[in-house]
Parts: sequence; structure tokens; C-alpha cells
Amino acid sequence: MFGYPGGNVVDVFDHVRTAKFRFVLGRHEQGCVHMADGYARATGRPGVAIVTSGPGATNAITGLATANVDGVPLVLVSGQVPLSQIGTDAFQEADMTGICRAATKHSFLVKSADEIPEVVAEAFYIATHGKPGAVVIDVPRNVQEATTDARYPERVSLRAYHPESAATPSQVNRLAKWLNEAKRPVLLAGGGVIAANAAGDVAALAAKAGIPVVTTLMGIGCVSASGMHSLGMAGLYGSYAANAALAAADLVVALGVRFSDRVTERCFPNGVHRARLVHVDCDPSSIDKNVTADLGIVADVKDLLTTVNSRVKPSLRAAWLARVAEWKAKHPFSYRQLRRGVIMPQAVVEAVDRAADGRTLLVADVGQNQMWCAQYFRHSHPRRFLCSGGMGTMGFALPAAIGAAIARPDCRVVAVAGDGGAQMTIQELAVAVAERLPIVLVVVNNGCLGMVRQMQDESFGGRRCAVAFPRVHGAGCPDFVKLAHAYGAGGVRVTDPAKLDSAVAKAMRAKGPTLVDVVVDPEANV
Amino acid sequence: MTEETYRLNCFVENKPGVLARIVGLISGRGYNIQTLNVGPTEDGTVSRMRIDVLGTERVVNQIILQLRNCVNVIEVTSRRR
Repeated sequence: MFGYPGGNVVDVFDHVRTAKFRFVLGRHEQGCVHMADGYARATGRPGVAIVTSGPGATNAITGLATANVDGVPLVLVSGQVPLSQIGTDAFQEADMTGICRAATKHSFLVKSADEIPEVVAEAFYIATHGKPGAVVIDVPRNVQEATTDARYPERVSLRAYHPESAATPSQVNRLAKWLNEAKRPVLLAGGGVIAANAAGDVAALAAKAGIPVVTTLMGIGCVSASGMHSLGMAGLYGSYAANAALAAADLVVALGVRFSDRVTERCFPNGVHRARLVHVDCDPSSIDKNVTADLGIVADVKDLLTTVNSRVKPSLRAAWLARVAEWKAKHPFSYRQLRRGVIMPQAVVEAVDRAADGRTLLVADVGQNQMWCAQYFRHSHPRRFLCSGGMGTMGFALPAAIGAAIARPDCRVVAVAGDGGAQMTIQELAVAVAERLPIVLVVVNNGCLGMVRQMQDESFGGRRCAVAFPRVHGAGCPDFVKLAHAYGAGGVRVTDPAKLDSAVAKAMRAKGPTLVDVVVDPEANV
Repeated sequence: MTEETYRLNCFVENKPGVLARIVGLISGRGYNIQTLNVGPTEDGTVSRMRIDVLGTERVVNQIILQLRNCVNVIEVTSRRR
């Protein structure tokens, strides 16, 4: 459990003190929720956070929205003023269930202690069933103080929420038939595949039927990047091979995707595709929302793939696989060294990739660094690449990395952030130090907000505004190395391309948290 | 596609905050509710809502699917007015 105490949740903390679970004290409520989010993304188990009323609750909103839009199971307990004071503008009162409505899957305002066991059980059920999401339990202080004999229910049965769904036999028949008929099929795998723990089933289908796999940003890790069926990420910043394969396909089977505009603008303009399109998702409202499917199937991706895999004929599809392999070989991601002796930001991710082994868990922040992490790291496992996809929340990487490191002590967690995102949640470095987590925070320091700068250059005639964080002390950008030291973490600055590999590798062997401040070329574009 | 008025018939759990949740879901998509009627049913734990919204068939279908995803919504049907 991750959290931050306050006056209207202090009664619960009196029991946190003696609880059997590990409690991690964050430094800001947004950070606490991102930590719970990182924990959940790394494991598939729901993350839990606890905050106080008023500002504690409102600070948590960004974290809730970030988790919810990416379908991450998360339960947040928020304190609330006593029931008798609700609506009186009491000290630290905020209408949490009202404020969080659009940022969560569901929320509860607990009116009596007798309700608590049932509400907690329902909250976890809702967070983890159907499309996972964030659930808030708002608990007034007088309810926290009360006692009850109510017991935790053995099973949850919700009157109006029945997210279980399965494909009909005719849908399965049609999908299997279309897969067997297709000459140039492509699987488009999204975050729903990872959420359903179905990455292995996607790889099995690809191998059996000779089908290339492209992923969305959230689907990265579904199939190993080095595998012959893997074409990488599709969409706006996707690979040539992935986008070319989608364009040339005669059948696209989209699994656990919601067709975000980052993908559709490039690959499905106007929400249509000239190939046959099958869309499989556990969320009925995602089918035909942004892209019209020829066959929409509301089902658990894993259940469906288990059935379909036994129904498709083994096939080599040698010609089609050879064609996509040629695209993959001929058009890898590439960049040009802009200035001699200056580190290119893409090279930073390549250095992390070279230093990585099978137990590296990469957490990206948001912006250019996120796209470079998606492009230049050879992702090999599900739940080993975490980032804020739908919400695009800057400042996500460090706290999410802390949650992931607590969830996966067997993994070496590396967070990559720009100097903008790093400054949004840098205070959580104190948590990494206090909890002795050997995470690495790589700051890709270009002294500017690179993605916005790139947009201003490309779409606004180079009229740059409000994007520079001059790397001169006293001009606004902190000395990240001194900052790391101030928190008690290790810190090192790299400016020389020749020293990049060794600095990153050394940080990834360090015993405690280490910040690597890499000064990179500010003019690089995605 | 042309915009038309659709009447949504919703049966929902009679709990605090459900009306706000449903109205927020529709207004959050930028659609205006033309008429809203909420009342009890024979079953005191269930309320009935009649909501008239103006939108294209595609958008209204999306609204219905999202309403059905709502934890407190028991049933939604619709018809063109």
C-alpha cells in the first residue's frame, strides 16, 4: 500500500501501523497513486493507495486518470470529513466522488462502518473485472472511527455489473475461417493482451499460423522484439514495417486495443481500413468506437485465443513473412548524429538496451523520451515496459518505477525521463532512498520540453515558446547530480558519448538508487 | 450522419450519485440532454430514467454502451423519437 496521511484519514493510519502489508510513504499524493499504478502494471495485481481528504484527494486525481484510461486495476482509499460536516465547506473538504467521476471506473462514498467490508470487496472486484480500472473508496472520518461486526463477504455479486463475456461459436468460426483464408494477415496487439495475460497466446497464434504481430504502445512486450513475427509498434511514431504491414494486410485482427488516435490517424484514417478488420476487446464500448470493424467480438482475449489457436491451420505464409521481414530489415529506426561529440538522446536508450538483461524493467516518462524508449529498446517481455499511454502523464516514470521495483524485486528497474518530466515528481527520489530501491533514473536532459519544441518547429514555423529550461545554473534547470545527492541517491553526469555506456552500465549495477543525468543534443526529433 | 432525438430508457440502482454519474457521462461527451425524467419503479431499489438526447446513431450507440458499462446501470434501451 502506498500513501500519504492527513487529518481525515489518521484513524486508518493507526491501523496501518500494525498491518501485515508493507506501507510505503510517498512524498506527494500523485506520486503515491503512480506507485500503486506501477505496482499494478508490473504484476497485474491491483495497486492500492491511501490519501487524506481535500487536497490529498484532489492531488490523487491525475494518478487515477492515468491508471484508469490505461485499464490498470487500482483501488484508492480517500479520507473524507465526517458525514455530519459533508456539504458545509469544512476544513479539507472536497467532493471526492464528484471530482473523480470522470477519472475512475467507479467510486463509493461509505456511509456506515457496516458497509466497509462489502464496499472493499466490490471495489476490488470492479477494479479487476471487465476492463480493469481505478476505483475510489471515500471514507468519512466518523465511519473510520466506528466499529462493526460486518465480515468480508465470501463472494461478490453485483446486481447491475456483469462484465463477463464470451465469443459466440459463429464468431469463433468466422474468425478462424478468415484467418485460414487470409494471405496477408496481421495481428494488432494492444494493452488488453497484456492485461489478460495473453501475450503467450498471441505469440503462439503468430508462430502456428505464420502471422506477423504489430503492437500499440501499450501492447509493447506482447512478443519479443527480436522474434521473426514481431514488427514493433504501429502508429504515429511506429516502425516502418508495422505501418507497412497494416497497410498491405488483407486481414487485421486487433486484440485488446481501443484504437487511440495515435494509431488511427496513421493506420486507420477516418476510422476505416480497406482490409477485413476483426476487433476483439473485453469492453463492448470499444468496438466500433473509433474504427468500424467487420467483425466485433466482445470477449476475454485469452479465452478467445485459446479457442482460436486450436482452430487455425498451421501455415508458414513464407512469402508474406519474407516480405515483412524485408521491411523490418531494411527500415529499422534510425537517426542522424547532429553534432560531433554531443550525445544523441536515442543513443541513451540504446545504451540502456545494451546494459539490459532479461530482468530489466523499463519505465518511460512522457514525450520524446517515451517514444525513443518504445523505438530503441529491444522489448522482450510483457509487463516489462511501463508508460502512461492514454493520459500521457509527465512525471509518471519515477514513482511508477518505485512501485514496479517494490513489486518486482527480482527485476532491475530503469526509469527514463526528460528533464521536464523528471522535475514534476523528483521528490519521490526520497522514497527510493528510504526504501533502498536500486532503481536507475536516467534523465535525458535536453534542457527543453522536446516534444512541444518539436511541434512548434514542425507546425508553428519554429516559433518556440515556453519550452526552454536553460541548462545554466541559476537559469531554471537544477543540477540533477547535486539534487540526487541532496536526496541521498547516487548521481552522475554524462556529456561525453564515449562514457555513456559505462556510466549507464555502472548505474544499473549500483546497490541503491542512482540518477544518471545525460546531457543530450536538444535539437533531436522523434 | 444526421442528428436525431433518441429516447434512452434506463433502469438504474436507486443509490446516491447515480443520476450525477449518468448525466456526467452524457454531458462529458459534449451532448446536451433535452429532457430528463427520473422516477421510482415498483421495486424501491430501482429507479427509471428517461433521457432524450440529440445525436447521430453512432454517438447514441456509444453512449448506450458506455451507460451499460456503468456499475449502477441495470438496463438501457433506446428508440428514435
